[in-house]
Amino acid sequence: MVQAKIKSPQPYSRVRPRSTIDWSQYHPGEFYDEIIGKAGRARPATRSLVEFIRKQTIKHLVSRQQAADLAIQEMGITFTVYSEGQNIDRSWPLDIIPRIIPLQEWRVLEQGLIQRLTALNMFIDDVYNKQQILKDKVVPEEIIASSPDFLKQCLGAKPRHGVWAHICGSDLVRDSDGTVFVLEDNLRVPSGVSYMLENRAISKRVLPQLFDRNSIQPVADYPSQLFDMLASLSPRAVKHPEIVVMTPGVFNSAYFEHAYLAQRMGAELVEGADMVVGSDDRVYMKTIRGLSPIDVIYRRINDDFLDPEVFRPDSALGTPGLFRAWRKGKVGLANAPGAGVADDKVVYTFVPAIIKYYLDQDPIIPNVPSYLCVNEKHRKYVLENLANMVVKPANESGGYGMLIGPAASKKELAMFAGLIKKNPRNYMAQPALKLSTAPTLCGNSIEPRHLDLRPFILQGKNHYVTAGGLTRVALRKGSLVVNSSQGGGSKDTWIVDTEAG
Amino acid sequence: MLARTAERVYWLGRFLERAENTARLILVRHHAILDLPREVQPGWDLLLQVLGAEQDFAALPGAANEKNIISFVFGERENPSSIISSLTSARENMRTTREIMPSETWERINSLYLSVARRSNKDLPRGVRHSVLNNIIQSCQQITGMLAGTMNQDAAYQFIRMGRNLERADMSTRIIDAASAGLMGNLEDISPYRNVLWISVLQSLSAYQMYRLNVQRNVSPQDVLEFLFQSHIFPRAVAHCLGEIEHSMKLLPEHKPALAAAEKVLKKLSSTDCGELVDSELHGFIDDLQLQLVDVHAAIVDTWFTPGE
Repeated sequence: MVQAKIKSPQPYSRVRPRSTIDWSQYHPGEFYDEIIGKAGRARPATRSLVEFIRKQTIKHLVSRQQAADLAIQEMGITFTVYSEGQNIDRSWPLDIIPRIIPLQEWRVLEQGLIQRLTALNMFIDDVYNKQQILKDKVVPEEIIASSPDFLKQCLGAKPRHGVWAHICGSDLVRDSDGTVFVLEDNLRVPSGVSYMLENRAISKRVLPQLFDRNSIQPVADYPSQLFDMLASLSPRAVKHPEIVVMTPGVFNSAYFEHAYLAQRMGAELVEGADMVVGSDDRVYMKTIRGLSPIDVIYRRINDDFLDPEVFRPDSALGTPGLFRAWRKGKVGLANAPGAGVADDKVVYTFVPAIIKYYLDQDPIIPNVPSYLCVNEKHRKYVLENLANMVVKPANESGGYGMLIGPAASKKELAMFAGLIKKNPRNYMAQPALKLSTAPTLCGNSIEPRHLDLRPFILQGKNHYVTAGGLTRVALRKGSLVVNSSQGGGSKDTWIVDTEAG
Repeated sequence: MLARTAERVYWLGRFLERAENTARLILVRHHAILDLPREVQPGWDLLLQVLGAEQDFAALPGAANEKNIISFVFGERENPSSIISSLTSARENMRTTREIMPSETWERINSLYLSVARRSNKDLPRGVRHSVLNNIIQSCQQITGMLAGTMNQDAAYQFIRMGRNLERADMSTRIIDAASAGLMGNLEDISPYRNVLWISVLQSLSAYQMYRLNVQRNVSPQDVLEFLFQSHIFPRAVAHCLGEIEHSMKLLPEHKPALAAAEKVLKKLSSTDCGELVDSELHGFIDDLQLQLVDVHAAIVDTWFTPGE
C-alpha cells in the first residue's frame, strides 16, 4: 500500500533566520586559517563543516559544547595541574569545532615524521656507540658533552632494532604562508595521545551528523599499534610478552593517560614499588600469585627517577636495578634511557643536518629557523631582535621558562637578555611565527584562535603515525601558548579524504 | 594481577557496598519513624550507633537532631563512614584501577559521586530524602550490575565480590544489632508495636518481602534471626555473603589460608541456635561475629595483598 506522505508545515519565509552563524563575521586577519581560506571561503576539505555550522544557531552550538563539557566531566577526562602546592584535577578542555587537514597533505607530513624519527634514532644510537657523527663534526661534540640528557651510563648499549625513541610526539605549526614546520620533538615521555583519542570519542557523541558527511581517518587503533610496537621490544621470543605501563603514580599530571593506555592495551599499570629486579637481572612485578616476570616496560617516568641505583638515589618512584636489567637486555624499556639527548632544543637545530647525514635525504618537513645563543653571531642577532623572537631554554618542556618576544614586557625582555648572556648554551631562539588559526567557540561567538598539532610517531620493528594527532589551541585571544597547564584547549583533529566518494 | 590493584578493587567493592547500605539505612530509619507514634519512635541517634559513629559525631559541633545526624551520615566529609566519604574512596579506588575496569562503570561512579558531591554540603530535608537516597541505592546497584554484566569474571572481579560481600555481612550484623537493641526486653510500651519493629529490622536489609516468601509465617524473632544470619538464599544474609566469599576465594590462586578463615566463620554461624539468642546473648553473639569477619579480612590481606612480605 502506498502511503501518502504528509508534509510538515513549512515556515513562510525561506530566508535564513538571523540567528544562525554568519561566516562573514569571521576574520582570521593576517594568519593562515585552517578552515576558512582566502575571501572568507571554506577550504576544499572543510566545506561540509563550514556549511554545517552555517546552518546552526549559536545557541545550538553552545548547547553542543555544554554537552561535550558534561560528557568530559562524566567520563572523568582530566588533567592535573600543580598550583600553589596542590594538585588540582581539571576537566579536559575541548572545543567542539574540529580542525581539519586534507589527507593528501597529511600523507606528506606522515612521511616527513617517519623520516625524522628514523634519523633521530640513528643519531641516538650513534651517539651512544660509535659517535661517528661527532667525529665527522656534523654535530659538535661539546653540545653532546654538555647536554644534561646525555647519559654516560648508556654508552655501548644496544637496544633492540637499534631504536631508542620508540614513542615520539613532534609539535607541528603552520606559518602564515601555509608552510608546516616542526617546532620540537618530544622524545622523553611525550603525553597527550589519550586526549586525542578521547576528543574523537566526544566528537562522535556530540556531533554525530558530521561524521556521515566526511570521510575521516579513524584514530582508534593507536593503543593496539602501541601494544604491537612494545611487543616487538620483548627480549624473550614468546607469543604473549608481559607488557606493563610504569607510572610515577596518581599525582602525576598525566596519570589519566597512563591508566587510559594501560586499560586500552590490557596491560598492568605499575608503580616503581610494584616491581623488583631479581638476582637473575630480570624484572618482576608483585602479583596476587607472587612474583611474575615482565618483558617490556612502557615507562612514563623520567630518566632521573627510573632507578635509584644509577640515577637520583632519592627517587622513591623508580625500581632499584631496572637500569641494570635493561643494560643486560633482560627487559625492554620504551623510551630507552638516554633517548632525551636528541630532544634537546639545541640538538633540534641540527636535525636537518642529521637527516642528511644518516639518510642522505632533505628533510620533508622543515625546521623553524633557529638561533643558538651559544654561537656569538647568532646571539648578537637574537639580542638585537629579542622583541620578535621566541626564546626557549634548551631542556624544559610544558612551555615553562619561555619568552615570547611580541607579548613580553620591557622588563621581561631585559631579564631574558640577561639570562642569555649569562648562560648562552642554555638558550635557543626562533623568530615568532604567525601560528595558524581555526574557528573556535569563544563564549557566544566563533573566533579565530592559534593552534599547533602534536602527532605521535611509533618506531619499533616498524613505523606508525597517528592519523592527525592532538590539536592544541590557545583559548585566549592573540595568545600563542597552547599548553593545557596554561589555559590552552584542544580540538578533535580530522584527516579528511576529499577524493573519497 | 598486581597485589596493589587487587587491594584497591577489593576496597572499591567494600566502599560501594558501604555507600549503598548507608543510604538504605537512612531511608529505612526515615520510614520507620514515619510509621510509628511519636512516643515509641526510635531516635535518630540509633543511626549513629549502627555505624559506630557516635564518637565521631560528638567530636563535631551541632546537636544530635534529625537534621544534623542525617547531614553527618550523608554528606560530612569529616565522617569517614558517611556516604560522601565512601563514594569518594570508591571513586578514588576505581580511578586508580581504571585500566582494568569497564569504562562505563567508571563513568557511572564518577557521575554518582559528582551528583552526591553537589548535594553534600546541603541538608537532606524530608521532602527530597527519598529520591536522593533512592538514586544512590539504584546507582550502586547499577554499578554492581554493570560489573556483573560487562567485566571479565577474573581475579579482579572476585576481589570486588569479596569486598562487597564482606562489607555486606558486616553491615547486616550491625543493622540487626542496632535495630534489635530495643526489642529484646519486655517493655510494656513497645509491645503493641513489636511486630512493626521487627518488620523494620527486615526492611533495613530489604528483607521483608523475601522473608515472607521464604518463611511464610508471621514475624517471630527466631525466624527473623535465622533468616538474616543463616539463610543461604537471601543475598544479604550473613551466611549467604560468606558463601559468596568462599566461592570467590576458591577461584583465586593460593587461597588456602584465606578460605580456612572464611569456612571457620560459616561453620560456627551455621551451628548456632538462633532461638537461644535472647536479650544480651544476641549482642554478644554479634560482637563475636564481627570480630570473626575482621579475621577474614586480615586473612585476605595476608594471602593476596602482601606478596613477599
